[in-house]
Amino acid sequence: MISRLGRFAVLLVASLLTLAVAQDNVLVVSLSSDPTSLYLPRAADRTASNASHTLYDTLMFINESSELEPRLATAWEIGEDGLTYTFTLRQGVTFHNGEPFTADDVVATWEFGSDASNDYPGDYTAASSVEALDDYTVRITTAEPNALFLTTLAQDWAIIPGDYMREVGIDGFVQAPVGTGPFRFVSRTAGERIVMEANTEYWEPSLPYLDGIEFRVIPDPSTRVAAVQTGAVHIANRLTPELAQSLEGEDGVEVLTYLNDRVYYVAFKNVGAGVGTPLEDPRVRQALNYGTDRYGIIQAIFSGFANAAPGFVLEGNLGYDQALMEAFPYDPEKARSLLAEAGYADGFEIEMGCPADGYVNINEVCQAVAQSLSAIGVDVEVDFQTTNTYWSEPQYAVTGPMFVDSWSSDVAEALPRLQGALIPGAYYNAWEDVEFESRINAINTTVDRSDRAAQYQELHALMRDNPPFIYLYQPVIFEAVSSKVEGYQPLAAEEYFLRSVRIVD
Amino acid sequence: MLKYVASKAFESLALMVGVLVLVFFLVRLTGDPVALMVPKDAPDSQREAFAINMGLDRPVIEQFLLYVGDVVRGDLGDSLRQRRPAVDIIFERLWPTVQLALGALAFAVVLAIPLGLAAGMEPNGTWDKIARTVGLAGQTIPSYWLGMLLIVFFAVELRWLPSFGRDTAASLILPAVSLGFSGLGQLVRLTRSTVLEVRRSDYLRTARAKGVATTHLAFRHVLPNVAIPLISVLGIQFTYLLGGSVYIESVFAWPGMGTLLESAVRDTDFPLVQAITVFIAFVAISVHLLTDLLYGLLDPRLRIA
Repeated sequence: MISRLGRFAVLLVASLLTLAVAQDNVLVVSLSSDPTSLYLPRAADRTASNASHTLYDTLMFINESSELEPRLATAWEIGEDGLTYTFTLRQGVTFHNGEPFTADDVVATWEFGSDASNDYPGDYTAASSVEALDDYTVRITTAEPNALFLTTLAQDWAIIPGDYMREVGIDGFVQAPVGTGPFRFVSRTAGERIVMEANTEYWEPSLPYLDGIEFRVIPDPSTRVAAVQTGAVHIANRLTPELAQSLEGEDGVEVLTYLNDRVYYVAFKNVGAGVGTPLEDPRVRQALNYGTDRYGIIQAIFSGFANAAPGFVLEGNLGYDQALMEAFPYDPEKARSLLAEAGYADGFEIEMGCPADGYVNINEVCQAVAQSLSAIGVDVEVDFQTTNTYWSEPQYAVTGPMFVDSWSSDVAEALPRLQGALIPGAYYNAWEDVEFESRINAINTTVDRSDRAAQYQELHALMRDNPPFIYLYQPVIFEAVSSKVEGYQPLAAEEYFLRSVRIVD
Repeated sequence: MLKYVASKAFESLALMVGVLVLVFFLVRLTGDPVALMVPKDAPDSQREAFAINMGLDRPVIEQFLLYVGDVVRGDLGDSLRQRRPAVDIIFERLWPTVQLALGALAFAVVLAIPLGLAAGMEPNGTWDKIARTVGLAGQTIPSYWLGMLLIVFFAVELRWLPSFGRDTAASLILPAVSLGFSGLGQLVRLTRSTVLEVRRSDYLRTARAKGVATTHLAFRHVLPNVAIPLISVLGIQFTYLLGGSVYIESVFAWPGMGTLLESAVRDTDFPLVQAITVFIAFVAISVHLLTDLLYGLLDPRLRIA
């Protein structure tokens, strides 16, 4: 009697204790938050695009060397005027629901993507027309030459099936998304998980290697780390440097690091509160750059896990050249002499805004900058504000003549941040310079990549002699990956491309 | 009795209206939601369209009255991010949170009552010492920290239990223990002190004088009298657990209302934050009303007074 009860008890306990260990050949990826939507025009959060990229293909793909690779388009041509793009499409591709892929689907992708009910139709309205010339040729036209259009196409135009979308509508599509990607959608539990299985009919016959992918939502970074350690998940992202370092030497887990395409800076204003301040003199602004110990900040606050930012063009961006783009050295002597030259031998007082807790360790960074500058005689008063208030008014009207902020780019180029920060009239613009503005506009209409690269380099040099910012740092991102995972390398914009990942034992 | 019920019901209603006022105005004092729901590089036309779409262009008082009318009809607004009714989203995530709160409560009660009883029946005995230590630990150890520690020990080191999620029955154990631990401490202390008080009472002295055995005393005379004050505390505990679950759900990736609230706050999805807060307040007020009524039912002394 007792032994039967005992055995029953053991079996019951054993079945209850089946641990959530990842099954063979299904990749389990942890997400730091629940994606709002798996239909890209309705979600811009990074976690959403991470999860969706597995379901869809775009026309082309931008690889780590910034080159365009064919995906659903096998060839393309840009017209002389820089306005028309003609694509030859891949044949024999089917969507997950069996619908064949034709040029009509590219048209449908554009039509539904531009819908006003979407959050981010801008990626699609960038094209003024999309025409199917025949079943496998499509012509896309932009109203003006647009430097980033190909990048937008490659990153954002996830091709959807026209017939299916017309049948179920966007709301229906969001419940059961269909694409041509290496994995197909199986199910989704709100706030918990998204399940996908391999698309056995994928047009690249050798891919995918995995049988399925499961995305698990785990908001807490230390829990993500614990989950990788126990083998319950294979990939954990958005880790702090401390957590990543705690995994040093841990069996079965590898720590990946890569540079984030994001620059942190102190911005100067020459409008609003910035008028009539010492900041009007470029020598003063250069002095502040020489007098900020960004290297000390990186060491002390980030344990060395960041790059000193050379400017707004960062490592990994189009046009970046290490030889031409070096960060300002820390040179307090030079800083002081520049200040004296400009007539501020005794220094001056100035206010600097800081978005409290807006970014990792930003409070400490703001204070460190103030401390650094006090050593060259510039007395900085740090004004902390909540992020809600900080960004609540155009031109950063709530802050003083200087303020701390950061800007990322997900197009592997500096253009979005240059436009956002330096084009007068833009919401977050606080510095007006006619030369910068015209150069940025020129870059924006230069369709040729190498031409643009040269222009970025020229602009960088100007922005160093006449700096609108104190360039601080470019952070490193940490991820913990199970040693069983092969072929996984995220790109600087924190994008995952899981089509060629495999699990080995 | 009817007067008692009526007065409690009225109190609850007044509380509810107060909550609606507070939540509505507080959320609007914290800044401009438009700047945060729209990307940095969005054109002004998109911002304006967004504001109008969400009704942010009307005067505040008008917005509030419309809001109260909606709440009464069961419409708690639409989530800004997910673009569907907040109530639907809440009900999807309700059961996991209730499950967690009940589990934590069960953990606390099942351990606290016997321990408190044993402690109170024999002051300064071994059980009493244990109970007082548990009481102290419960009051001082933060649940969030305890949760992370339990994960490191039981999941990562020992591999006995899952480190996150709600996959198996065993997944409930660590989160429930983390969440319920402070409740356990509180209940042990309360049970113990109630037991001590009851033991000093006349009816117990009489029973003891009559020669009733200690165990019989404990279960037939002490425990029922301890149960009554405990019920109202349990009611408070349950609602506290609903709120405290935000941290624990976050740590354990438990897909309930806690994680929903956390992501809603982070996204400044204020209709959803408002809806969740109102909903939790409604549950809390209802539970209080229920325990008040139960209390009134069980303790005849209350009804007469």
